[in-house]
Amino acid sequence: MLLTPNAMSRRLRVGLYLTTAAIGLFLLLPIVFIVLLSFGSSQWLVFPPPGWTTKWYLQFFANPEWMAAAWSSLKVAALTTVFAVLLGLPTAFALVRGKFPGRELLYALFTLPMIVPLVIIAVAVYALFLKLGYTGTLFSFVVSHVIVALPFTIISIINSLKLFDQSIEDAAVICGASRLQAIFKVTFPAIRPGMVAGGLFAFLVSWDEVVLSVMMASPTLQTLPVKMWTTLRQDLTPVIAVASTLLIALSVLVMVVAEIIRRRNPVNA
Amino acid sequence: MSAVIKQQQAVQAGDTLVSLRGLNRHYGDFAAVDNIDLDIKDGEFLTFLGSSGSGKSTTLSMLAGFETPSSGEILVGGQSLVNVPPHKRGIGMVFQRYSLFPHLSVRDNIAFPLDIRKLSRAERDRKVDAMLKLVQLEAFAHRRPAQLSGGQQQRVAIARALVYEPRILLMDEPLGALDKKLREDLQDELRQLHRRLGITIVYVTHDQEEAMRLSQRIAIFSHGKIVGLGSGYELYQNPPNAFVASFLGNSNFLKLTTTSNGSATFEGASLGMRLTPGANVGQQVLLMVRPEKAQALSVAQAAEQPLLPGWNQIPATVTETLFLGESQTCSVVTRGGTAMTVKALSAAGMPLQAGEQVQLRWAAADACVYTHWEEGDLNKAAGAH
Repeated sequence: MLLTPNAMSRRLRVGLYLTTAAIGLFLLLPIVFIVLLSFGSSQWLVFPPPGWTTKWYLQFFANPEWMAAAWSSLKVAALTTVFAVLLGLPTAFALVRGKFPGRELLYALFTLPMIVPLVIIAVAVYALFLKLGYTGTLFSFVVSHVIVALPFTIISIINSLKLFDQSIEDAAVICGASRLQAIFKVTFPAIRPGMVAGGLFAFLVSWDEVVLSVMMASPTLQTLPVKMWTTLRQDLTPVIAVASTLLIALSVLVMVVAEIIRRRNPVNA
Repeated sequence: MSAVIKQQQAVQAGDTLVSLRGLNRHYGDFAAVDNIDLDIKDGEFLTFLGSSGSGKSTTLSMLAGFETPSSGEILVGGQSLVNVPPHKRGIGMVFQRYSLFPHLSVRDNIAFPLDIRKLSRAERDRKVDAMLKLVQLEAFAHRRPAQLSGGQQQRVAIARALVYEPRILLMDEPLGALDKKLREDLQDELRQLHRRLGITIVYVTHDQEEAMRLSQRIAIFSHGKIVGLGSGYELYQNPPNAFVASFLGNSNFLKLTTTSNGSATFEGASLGMRLTPGANVGQQVLLMVRPEKAQALSVAQAAEQPLLPGWNQIPATVTETLFLGESQTCSVVTRGGTAMTVKALSAAGMPLQAGEQVQLRWAAADACVYTHWEEGDLNKAAGAH
């Protein structure tokens, strides 16, 4: 490190600590507020809460609409994860191993959804599904979420595939395994951290996606963020804080699981 | 695989096992492998030696089946391998970076080829145990590759390549990543393993000392062609051309003008040389003397020791002497400005000083003569190790 504690003046060091703390607070405070509010006894989202209660949680879990939304969110996110990995895996192989003209262009195309404003994708997909009569279906949710989740999955798998020494796969082939056997028995286990990370990214993208989901939603099928959005426009109940807290909790859980898997795997660590 | 193996059984030890016939590999206009013909004998240890980009690894890759020849034939026991996919060739291979399966234990790595072949559990365990014993890794059977040293990893790779008893073992710079001492130990082990198993080994390296230590025959690659083939001794003592002479070891090159078939002039001095077919009188030829075959004598020594018949002598000036422990070298420059080096064992003594006048002597029979060469052949850097 260039700035060793010795070489750095004390004042500068204190300044850096304070700046870092301020940025950390700036990022963390909204989350802390929301979690605290979800346990607050005031029904007007008053801060600081005058007392503590878990009744909003009971209300959340007792409400079939919230539960249906949460269940839909889980279903959509799980299906998005599965399809993003199933599509991302062969795509990543083609982009890393393939030698064909236009490979760079194809890579750019696949990562385009990361750059194009979400609302443009949403309008385009909405227009298409409206015409086909697919809006409000599970299918439309999953397809639109896969579009935005796929770039993350592809990049994650590409990174681990580039790190993987292909001569290990060749070794399996010369040992008697067909190329496909070698990929399944040797390459997939070796790039598993990248596959898992790619899948978790896809899950998270879908889990808190709101722009596309608002377009795809119908009165009978909506995800948790959509339900929060529509509820918020009617009244400001602390149940929204509960939903937010649960949304955050699952995201954090997914990140922790990803980190544990990454650390436990000796390959490509 | 089975068809190939059956055919191989008919081959007797010492016969040709592998034949490369007019083998080519082109990438666009670039010929990575340029019309190679080579017979590999059953049970021999043959090394492909060359600098990077010489075509040695591409040739090995074609043998393994990872590269497809642009044209030409690869025959094993008379049977063409060109259209046999790599996993059905029944060839063993050891890679430069070990290429062990990182998620499997040492035991499961070695068992992998047997599991693919669906051997019974008992037979699989018996063969794996035998291999673990052969490479002395019984105590490490349950470790993961990441928990082994480089030398141990390479032993596992060798065991994995041998466990299914291939007739041919390919090795692509397998010791390149190891330090010098460990390399020499493993080279000795490998030589013993080869002697014990009688397997045919094709080994690729850019390290000429390694090639000399290991192989019965060496094929020297340059620009996609085999430019020298023979035992290390033959190639070193009688290089077939100036490139091999310059590539293997150190060499002194002198440009002579022939006066008859057997004599020539160099900077005004008359020298004897080997009878050389194809050398015309008045033609320029290239003379190659190994540094250890030449002697540098001080003027006083030269006066004491008469020049033996069949020996040549030219005057020169010492530019530098170097003590290298086991040996010492003396660099000289002739009157015409040709730089030469003489090497002698330290025990023999060479009490010379820079600036001193010396007489350079060598036996005409020890010097090779070439009638054709290219200036680039004499440049050591072209085939640097």
